[in-house]
Amino acid sequence: MSAWEWIRLLAGGALLLGGLLIFLIEMYGVFRFKYVLNRMHAAALGDTLGITCSMAGLMLLSGFRFSTLKMAMVIVFLWLTSPVSSHLLARLEAGTNEELGEHCEVYEKLETLEAELQDRREEQQMQEAQEQKEEAL
Amino acid sequence: MTAEKVSLFLQVQRGLFLVILIVLGLLFFAALVRAVKGPRVVDRLVAVNMVGTMVMVMIAVLSLYLQEEYLLDICLIYAMASFLAVIVLSKVYIGIYEEQHLEKENRMSRGGSTGLKSLTEADGRKEDGAV
Repeated sequence: MSAWEWIRLLAGGALLLGGLLIFLIEMYGVFRFKYVLNRMHAAALGDTLGITCSMAGLMLLSGFRFSTLKMAMVIVFLWLTSPVSSHLLARLEAGTNEELGEHCEVYEKLETLEAELQDRREEQQMQEAQEQKEEAL
Repeated sequence: MTAEKVSLFLQVQRGLFLVILIVLGLLFFAALVRAVKGPRVVDRLVAVNMVGTMVMVMIAVLSLYLQEEYLLDICLIYAMASFLAVIVLSKVYIGIYEEQHLEKENRMSRGGSTGLKSLTEADGRKEDGAV
């Protein structure tokens, strides 16, 4: 009985500390990246994997009770809401930042994106063909 | 013999919870620093979102540390409240930006089409302000 308890404590503690490590990585990424849309990538780490790890550890530690179900509810709720809120935040940033082109490539329409990509592909093919010719010479 | 073992078990558990609470508190302050420093509004909102997630874990750990199960209900409600806060704030900021943009466009179109009208309007505003 007590051996099982110790094993449960070890497993739960390891999961909890893993969740804490993920929160630390999240904070490091948020301070390291230079732009908001990159920072959101790091911040989404804690919303999904961090809280899942730490809540799973707490579920193991609390044992099989009604409160375990509530912790599972928190995880499921965050899985559902975190993508929605990050989508809205990204839309706010992309809609209100007028100098977005400095940080990332902006395409006004999908058609122009496809046209630009095709142009680039053709340029690359031309360059490769030229290099091959030069090598042959 | 068994009582000592149980007390050791509880001590280890409580020490683990305390360490996790302290580290999460430090991370909380780091997120607050990000919220104060963040050059754009979205930086601050992302920091608020992170603080919400960390506070949720802190409340869940506290509910085991104090052995009070009702704290988990508060955790669920906190999750809903922080989600609502982020959604409402981002919608509000999108609305503010669109309003400002519309005002600018209106001014531009007026100034472009009829320069005289805008001048008279500006004069009227000045007079109002003087009065």
